[in-house]
Amino acid sequence: MEKFRRLAKPVSHLVVAGLLALSLHLPTAQASLIGTEAVINATQAQQNRERLHELLNREDVKSQLVARGVDPSQVQARVDSLTDQEVQTLATKMDQMPAGGDVLGVLVFLFLVLLVTDILGFTNIFPFVKHPKR
Amino acid sequence: MRNTQAAWSVSGGAGIPNETLCRQKTQLSNRKGPASGACARLATVASTGSTGGACSLLAVALFISVFFLLGGCATPQTDRIRATASARPQPVELKEVPFFPQEEYQCGPAALAIMLNWTNDFVTPDELVSQVYLPKRHGSLQLELIGAVRRQNRIPYVLRPELESVFAEVDSGNPVLVLQNLGFWWYPDWHYAVVVGFDLPGDRMVLRSGREERHVVPIEVFERTWRRSHYWAMVVMPPDRLPFTAEEIPYLQSVAALERLSSWETTATAYATALTRWPKSLAARMGLGNSRYALGDVRGAQQAFRQATQEHPDAAVAFNNLAQMLAIENRWQDATAAAQRAVELGGPQVGTFRETLKQIEAKREKQQEPLGPP
Repeated sequence: MEKFRRLAKPVSHLVVAGLLALSLHLPTAQASLIGTEAVINATQAQQNRERLHELLNREDVKSQLVARGVDPSQVQARVDSLTDQEVQTLATKMDQMPAGGDVLGVLVFLFLVLLVTDILGFTNIFPFVKHPKR
Repeated sequence: MRNTQAAWSVSGGAGIPNETLCRQKTQLSNRKGPASGACARLATVASTGSTGGACSLLAVALFISVFFLLGGCATPQTDRIRATASARPQPVELKEVPFFPQEEYQCGPAALAIMLNWTNDFVTPDELVSQVYLPKRHGSLQLELIGAVRRQNRIPYVLRPELESVFAEVDSGNPVLVLQNLGFWWYPDWHYAVVVGFDLPGDRMVLRSGREERHVVPIEVFERTWRRSHYWAMVVMPPDRLPFTAEEIPYLQSVAALERLSSWETTATAYATALTRWPKSLAARMGLGNSRYALGDVRGAQQAFRQATQEHPDAAVAFNNLAQMLAIENRWQDATAAAQRAVELGGPQVGTFRETLKQIEAKREKQQEPLGPP
């Protein structure tokens, strides 16, 4: 089971890469309108190779979101609205990024410390700590 | 020890074990301590704390940690703001910004709903939960909030990491979404809130925060909690309005990201709005052309690309896209000339330009075949 799990990710990447290779005509540049993002970012060499890489990242972010409890039916829409750069960031450091949500589970000691630091104005955890006018 | 307990109980009962602070917050928020006297309370703790072994240990620990914190908690931005406080003597508060109190862990959806409703997008926090909430992390990521804004056809714009930018936006009527760490780096309490007001002479900021519709904090306290997110702040704009502090390239990047979602109506409006502030912007003009083309307005797109070639005669991309539009209208001669110009100018996308030229020439021959001699 463990072995299977370890293999699952590289295998899924291979499958995705294979499918993409079928649909991407890698060597040819296609005649097309130049997109606005390309105009802004100017340097778009190696477009196709990067595109393949980005699509792999997108799959990776999707599975990471599902692993963190997101409803699989929502994952596609959530990833679709991110730029390549943003997807890259999420793919590599989702767990290092702060998740704003007021997650607290704490003992009395910490409560006391934080209350003092709140009163001193270094933190602002407790809304009932009021700061006097200077 | 009894004294210490008494001193703490002024601020609402310290001995609540094994409860999450989120819940304590709601229980205690109604029991406000005296408006002044925080310093007096602290003095009581300091003097009584030295009786008894455990208490003195606690006092020493507190002293050390406070000393350590003092060293790392300068507030350069607040100092800078105070130095220029006379420039904004009047308090500002956007009273019309709506409020949604947060459910547990849901400050992301709540703060986002406040921002979106302010732009007349009447979405509820509940509707946003499934779009931004990350259950196993008990919170929402900044990038996911940005993505959700795009899905609502609004433009997310991340501000420069400076208090001045926040105040400038609020002053011009735009509430500002901020990420704070209300705790410490070693004990983080990440939190989204919305800045809706400030009072520089009074040294106060007003936030829609958690369950508090009007959370008032000193500017330096806000800076300390905000600095831990590297001063992350964002405004959410309808496409026909620019953020006050918008800069050309970052703003256009935020707009271009909506092209991925095919929100062409929105991007067309946003590029047109950008052109009112940066009339010579190549990226905005090109974006306007691309959006119009996607909406089926070939004539309008052609006009935008043509103007781009006139204003930026060395922009190969403008000639390439203009050539495509002319080809659609079967204006082969003009199309070929534009495509050739793009190839001559070259650049990283020259492969695409050559392909455009090749295609136009091929189509031109095909079209002219029936007319030619047998």
